[in-house]
Amino acid sequence: MIGLRAPAPHHDCEVLVIGSGAGGAVTAAVLAEAGFDVLVVEEGPWVEQGSVVPFSLEQMDRQYRAGGVTVALGRPSIAYTEGRCAGGGTEINSGLYRRPSEETLDRWRRQTSIVDFADDEFFGICDEIEVALSVQTVPGSHTPASERLRNGAAALGWQHDEIPRWMTYPAGGDAVTGRRESMTRTFLPRAFAAGASLLVEHRVDRLVRDRGRAIRAELTGPDGGPVTIDFGTAVVCGGAVQTPALLQRSGWRGLVGRGFAVHPTVKLAARFDDTVNVADDVPVHQVKEFSPDLSFGGSASHPGLVALALSEHWPAMRDAVTAWREMAVYYAAITSEGRGRVTALPGMRDPLVTYRLTARDKALLGQGLARLALVMLEAGAQAVFPSFREAPIVRSRADLAELTGRFRASTASVMTVHLCSTVPMGEDRGRAAADSVGLLHGADNVYVNDASLLPDAPGVNPQASVMAIATRNARRLAGALR
Amino acid sequence: MNAPTKGLRPAPEATVVTGAAGWLGTALMHALTAPASRWHREGTIRALVTNRVEADRLRGLGTQVEPVIGDLTQPHTLDPLVAGLTGTVDVLHTAGVIHPPNMATFESVNVGGTSAVLDLAVRAGARRFVHVSSNSPFGTNAHPGDRFRNDEPYHPYLGYGRSKMRAELVVLDAVQRGLDAVIVRPPWFYGPHQPPRQSTFFSMVRTGRFPVIGRGDQARSMVYVDNLVHGLLLAELVPTPAGRGWWIADARPYTVAEIVDTVGRALRDEGFQVTPNRVRVPGVVSRLAELADSTIQRLGRYHQQVHVLGEMDKNIACDISVARDELGYEPEIELYEGMRRSVRWCIEQGMEL
Repeated sequence: MIGLRAPAPHHDCEVLVIGSGAGGAVTAAVLAEAGFDVLVVEEGPWVEQGSVVPFSLEQMDRQYRAGGVTVALGRPSIAYTEGRCAGGGTEINSGLYRRPSEETLDRWRRQTSIVDFADDEFFGICDEIEVALSVQTVPGSHTPASERLRNGAAALGWQHDEIPRWMTYPAGGDAVTGRRESMTRTFLPRAFAAGASLLVEHRVDRLVRDRGRAIRAELTGPDGGPVTIDFGTAVVCGGAVQTPALLQRSGWRGLVGRGFAVHPTVKLAARFDDTVNVADDVPVHQVKEFSPDLSFGGSASHPGLVALALSEHWPAMRDAVTAWREMAVYYAAITSEGRGRVTALPGMRDPLVTYRLTARDKALLGQGLARLALVMLEAGAQAVFPSFREAPIVRSRADLAELTGRFRASTASVMTVHLCSTVPMGEDRGRAAADSVGLLHGADNVYVNDASLLPDAPGVNPQASVMAIATRNARRLAGALR
Repeated sequence: MNAPTKGLRPAPEATVVTGAAGWLGTALMHALTAPASRWHREGTIRALVTNRVEADRLRGLGTQVEPVIGDLTQPHTLDPLVAGLTGTVDVLHTAGVIHPPNMATFESVNVGGTSAVLDLAVRAGARRFVHVSSNSPFGTNAHPGDRFRNDEPYHPYLGYGRSKMRAELVVLDAVQRGLDAVIVRPPWFYGPHQPPRQSTFFSMVRTGRFPVIGRGDQARSMVYVDNLVHGLLLAELVPTPAGRGWWIADARPYTVAEIVDTVGRALRDEGFQVTPNRVRVPGVVSRLAELADSTIQRLGRYHQQVHVLGEMDKNIACDISVARDELGYEPEIELYEGMRRSVRWCIEQGMEL
């Protein structure tokens, strides 16, 4: 059941949810099921799961913001991706799911003084989400690229494990038989069943304020024409870049957009003697030996993405690209001490995003990439292609010295998919931009309920954190509105 | 340390020790020859030294010691180390240069010398070759909480690190060709038989002039020299696959502030007047020193003080759990006790601290 609302110049609703990803879909389902009149607006299109090849260039074009090419400026600049479709990032990512640790929850509580934020409630919500999204490990055998990573870590005696995903499998099924879950299959249909509706291809330009109270949203419709929505309460769930940008365009600045946190990531491609690549699936094993500072895992390795990872080696690598079936892309992700900033610029459609890595971050990226290359050699890779300018091709342990000697973070292709912390939640107004349930400080009826609220990057895939916090806050909001 | 109980092979009929008059070498020779030592062995010990004074000193350790005066950079001078030996032979290669007169010496001694001793070991049909490496082929940790695991990518720190890395690669090549060689990797070591530069370290701490960088929270692994001797001899006598390497260090890394504080305490408890340490150097000084060091080294020269200062803000910390598992290595002495013994030794030698 798809509750798409037909375009019109004006709409009214009790609760306006802006964005339909992990935060917005969950918010809409909770509030609609509590009996509220909910309208969800989404900038991107509705794309049926399975109608586009996962991790393909076509998908990047249709379901990602700016075709998948967005950049946080800095030295080095950090490329990031954002979903821009119904369901947001949950439609296009790998569906990897990890609960944050108790240490992380405790750090968050202390960092920004979040109140009434108990582990029991949080993890109880995680239990519910895991059932709703069918979060599980692979019942059968893994993809070859995933097994290589696991074998390399095991050979070094390094801790590793399998990240659960929101997938369904036939009984005992192998990794390749899985079917992805996502918001368009789960929480959005739940919201629709409870009476919510969704307006796709509508971009919210700004919220019109009367002092602390937002009364109307001004949007651009699919044909470029103006649309307005009047509401009682707005919940902004556009993700850690779009949410602060919209709030700033609406006149809320202060801490909004500061404290931008990510997991910076560097990559390499590894070539093996035999076929390892399953183009439309990702490895599920992760090396946790150096967690939380460093994690290694497998990336999407569609031929186009292999070519991208090899672009630093282009002259030498033309033949390797045609051998993409023998290649897979892996990443080393760090927890970063650096921070960035999202700033809406007058007259510009997209905000300016900046990020600054610290000296420790840069050193850790280099150490991480080298350790990942060592895992690959132990896994039997015949050649490893690190993704930074003038990188050597690594074929032996001696070559690792070349890698570590030449690595400079400033020449590396640093990217990230985990964006958070631009509207951190908590009672400490010196550090938090929203209160302990996501009500924007200084606003009467504008809430934030997405990755922006996390006080910092959790050191694991953040979607479990985002959905659990969104569920908690939406329940609090339902109680408050009643 | 608990005496190793199981799995040790008997000592060989002959042992070749290079660098036998050095800091580690002297401690090793004492462990192999002292009658009360659990590592005492009966067989011949051929000990490579550089001059007659060292030879005479080692000869005094016991009748089984046969000093050989030779030069690692002149391979033919090493032949007497194995000439006429029969039965099982182990080679313990502790020789190396860390603060050389010039950069070329790193290559000729640490790489060329290792190569020459490996050739000798192959010719002698050695049962096992133990190579003493360093932390320097692996560089530094990215942050104070990181620990080098047993296997790490090479990231050599300047000239010494490059030479010790190349020495490891030469050893691993020999393993490929059939030699049973293993590697022990000690970090910064301390303890009796120390050279004069370490006494300077004590003097600086005693007078409150040791340059602590920033808050002094850099993590540093150290190894008391007798802990290292135990690890080295376990590496010799525990049967393992060839080509293995292990960190041999004290039980845990220390912080630089803790090291300076502990040395101060050890000196005080040995009756010295110790001035509280006041020298706090901003990180930028160390980074400049590192830059200067790397520039000087590129010019083919070497400056010890600049080198050490450049290294002072680094984290160099390792995890010894694999040595524990595979060798049964258990460090017996930790920092305070080790430093007290070290200070006492200096006093006995009549050194000025």
